[in-house]
Amino acid sequence: MSLQFLSPIYLLGLLAAGIPVLIHLLTRRQQKHIRFSAVYLLSQSRQRSIRRSTPNRLLLLLLRCLAILCFSLALAHPIFSFTGPQSLLPESPSATVFILDDSFSMSAATKTGGSLFHSAAEKFGTLAKSIRKETSYAVVSGSAEARVWKGWADSGESVGKLISGSVASFQTTSMGRAIAEAVHLLDETSQPEKRIVIFTDLQKNGWTQGDLPEFSSGDSYKIQIVDFSALQAQPNRAAIESVSVDQEFLTNTRIVRVRAETRNLSKTQPLAQLAVSLWTHDKKLSEGMIDLPSQTLVARDFSFPQPGGEPVEGYVEIQEDGLMPDNRRYFTFQPDQTIKVLVVDGDPKTVEHQSESFYVERALNPFSVALSNIEPTVSTLNELPQRTIMDYSVVILCNVRELPLGFEIELERYVLHGGALLVALGDQVDPKYYNEKLGSLLPVTLETILTVPPDQDAFHFALEESGHRALNVFTGQPLLEMRDIQFHSIYDVKPREDAASSIPMRFSNGSPALVESDLGKGKILLFTSSLDRDWNNFPIQPTFLPWLQRWVKYSAHSLESLSHQDLLVSQPLKRWQEGLPGTTLFVQMPGGKIVRPPQSTDEILFRDTTHPGVYRVYQMAKEENPGAQEPVETVVPALPEGTELAGTFTVNVDTGESDPEKIPLAEIQKLLGNLDVELIPVDELDKSTAPQEGFPFTTPLLLLVSGFLFWEGFLVRRE
Amino acid sequence: MIIGWLRVTRPIPGRSTPNTLVPLVFMNPQDTFEYDPQILARISSLKLQAMGLVEGILTGHHRSHHKGSSVEFAEYKDYTPGDEIRHIDWKVVGKTDKYHVKQFEQTTNLKCTILFDASGSMGYVSSHDRGLSKIDYARTLVAALSFLLLKQFDAVGLTLFNDKVVSHIPPRSKPSHFQHLLHGLASVEPGGVTRIQDVIGGLVERLPGRSMLILVSDLLTREKTLEHTLRLLRSRELEVILFQVLHPDEVSLPFAGDIVFESLEDDPSVGLDPLDVREEYRGEIQRQIAHYRIICESLGINYVFLETSTPLEQGLSYFLLKRKSQVKQ
Repeated sequence: MSLQFLSPIYLLGLLAAGIPVLIHLLTRRQQKHIRFSAVYLLSQSRQRSIRRSTPNRLLLLLLRCLAILCFSLALAHPIFSFTGPQSLLPESPSATVFILDDSFSMSAATKTGGSLFHSAAEKFGTLAKSIRKETSYAVVSGSAEARVWKGWADSGESVGKLISGSVASFQTTSMGRAIAEAVHLLDETSQPEKRIVIFTDLQKNGWTQGDLPEFSSGDSYKIQIVDFSALQAQPNRAAIESVSVDQEFLTNTRIVRVRAETRNLSKTQPLAQLAVSLWTHDKKLSEGMIDLPSQTLVARDFSFPQPGGEPVEGYVEIQEDGLMPDNRRYFTFQPDQTIKVLVVDGDPKTVEHQSESFYVERALNPFSVALSNIEPTVSTLNELPQRTIMDYSVVILCNVRELPLGFEIELERYVLHGGALLVALGDQVDPKYYNEKLGSLLPVTLETILTVPPDQDAFHFALEESGHRALNVFTGQPLLEMRDIQFHSIYDVKPREDAASSIPMRFSNGSPALVESDLGKGKILLFTSSLDRDWNNFPIQPTFLPWLQRWVKYSAHSLESLSHQDLLVSQPLKRWQEGLPGTTLFVQMPGGKIVRPPQSTDEILFRDTTHPGVYRVYQMAKEENPGAQEPVETVVPALPEGTELAGTFTVNVDTGESDPEKIPLAEIQKLLGNLDVELIPVDELDKSTAPQEGFPFTTPLLLLVSGFLFWEGFLVRRE
Repeated sequence: MIIGWLRVTRPIPGRSTPNTLVPLVFMNPQDTFEYDPQILARISSLKLQAMGLVEGILTGHHRSHHKGSSVEFAEYKDYTPGDEIRHIDWKVVGKTDKYHVKQFEQTTNLKCTILFDASGSMGYVSSHDRGLSKIDYARTLVAALSFLLLKQFDAVGLTLFNDKVVSHIPPRSKPSHFQHLLHGLASVEPGGVTRIQDVIGGLVERLPGRSMLILVSDLLTREKTLEHTLRLLRSRELEVILFQVLHPDEVSLPFAGDIVFESLEDDPSVGLDPLDVREEYRGEIQRQIAHYRIICESLGINYVFLETSTPLEQGLSYFLLKRKSQVKQ
């Protein structure tokens, strides 16, 4: 038996039944006390009239309330039926696992204004109320997470509420993993009948053989798939597949270019004049129209000036269609900050190009105007005491024999506070001074100068494709070119026992070419050859400029490694700097929620990338008490003082889920082998429980209303 | 205590000259005892005429049953031994040689006793009263009647009662007696239960025969034997005037809302919505008024119904005119 309402919105009118009661209470007069003379006459009069007046009021109130109740119920079109919506539920005791597809394709709008997931949740809520006590059931998410929403339970009410309060996720479908999880759950039970009921839109993405469990011939799971795709108001027409951002440095305006690639998902219908708009910092910057032939990817470029070098956050959006989440794609861009570099020339010459710093200065700022983001300043050793090295991000010592007295202490403090030191050697270098005075800075000791005789082959870089962020751009031809560079003299170095270091580059003889180490917040790089042409021909090679610039940027923590982590939903954020020593990180999520990732050496830094948007990473000096760090991710109410923005990264939806193509039953049957699979369109499911088949209660209720009103009028008239 | 002044336009014998201010004394300071001089001035032009001959000691405007020496000649009668020789009309003896004696109609004073109901029900005060309250209205009425009677040299007494006689001022005709009466009126504090039958039953033997009795009451009592009491008074040949004074609230029951009515006498409190009983109540009070009117008519008693909203002069004028016409008949 069930009572359903065709227009349940009118049930809100039931609240109006409180109005007569409210009026009654509000107009109930306060009892007054009056001293009166003829009270005995009042007593006599009351005895004669009391029978017909007092009960009438309560009766009138009751009749009015009943009339309103019945009228509201009548408007809601109640249908009484002896058969409830139990076609998905077996009569016999069974174990049923419901798989609710909560991938973002289920967030497509329906004709009634909700989403497919909302409809599925409602349907599940209705079913949950009818689940028999002897039936145990569980609920599993059908998205990539395939989490168990609810373990085995036998009470449907609370789970129904739990599900109805949920919304679709931004993840992709992973029906294979969900079915595997369901099978795992069913294997735990001893119920004779085992069933899997899947509420899905049959989006093709996620039905992969690899995720499905191996079914044996003895498995007798009955699988019923309820297809909600028919409820979708309009198909998903287009999706933004990618957004890339770069910046042109060779113009005075520093133009930021945003390229958005949009795909027409329809196989037959071209899209004309599709609006594409660019938004940054919640402000629409630009809008354009594109024509999209069917099944094609069309790029649309936007450009805007960003002279300040400020970080850019935004998204590109296309106009609405059947599925919202893939209509917007976020991007973030961190323009390179101007890096001030102090180049200390240890061997200045009157002829400019013979100076030690000549090639370094040209490589760092090739146009000699303030267009590059690296601003070198050349200083001789004599000028060095007048410089404030804290004003510079990177200090490069080029063939310096020895530093002015006490300057090494200042240099050490500079590195400890985050400065970068790049030391290049040469013939002027005094190894004794370096080994004794710069022992706290350099992780190696300088041993001897290795010089190749003119008749022998010079040293070369022994380079392979490297994952090092400073070197990962050198692949292919550039890498080959770098291998050909000839080094005639190099310093042989020996690691210090008490210092940690890494060697990202070596020479062909196995000697380190570049030694990298950390000190405090800063970084120290030692190049064991010279940065002029005295010991090699590297400065005149095409790769010298990018090589030096990248190492400078890298040492200044300026490489765009973080913002290049354009993640998909549920992909974890990986560490982009080895350690970021001495810092505590915080991640601000798109909704404003701030979490502190767990402090661990794990490569994964942050996993909670469940919503698309721009995530911001903040860092601050490490807390004094390391024990206070939680081993798990913790939510903090606000950013602590002293935090500074370390970078941003974006999370976007996987457009593989945008494909409107549905998987046919035959293909599902093929994937699931010999299992009994039944496909039920949601329309038919509704028909089986269609309330029109029951007895409509509208007319009897209206008759009741008439009766109540007639009675009420009679009483009022009599009174 | 002097709380006001009364201006009179007719002379009060032996007391004042016309247009004299007479001090109003004895009034309860808390009451607004409104003693409108204009009312008294209009009423003083009308004379209260007794319906029949009443016996009195003092000469007045009322005709006496006794014929004797007086200022107004009645008839001649033959002299018989025992008649006063000074009443022989010697002129007639000279002409006819027969002895005739003059007879005169003798005018006497009226003795009037005013019974004033001082029970609790007379103390009803409405929250929206703008004029006189019920007790003040009754006081004014009695004061006006007393003044008129005293002005025509009649003796006026005042008896205050509830379930017993509270105070009694014997009838006197001296002008200064008015002050005593006012004192008595001012001292009225409504309280107790109305017992008209018991009070009149005890008083009736003490009342002078053929005198006038004025009963001022709201007649709001559970007693069913008022008719018997009035009949008893009439059997004593007393001229009875019955003033029933009610407040308009007591007639129309205009209240609204849930109200607990607390009795001014000894009835238990009643909580009700007046709307529920209004019609029933109005019918009941009208039936009671009609009942008293019928009884009084049947016994030859003047019944005057007054609501406190009715101008006092209007009620009194109507009554006195009616009395005058009855005397002429």
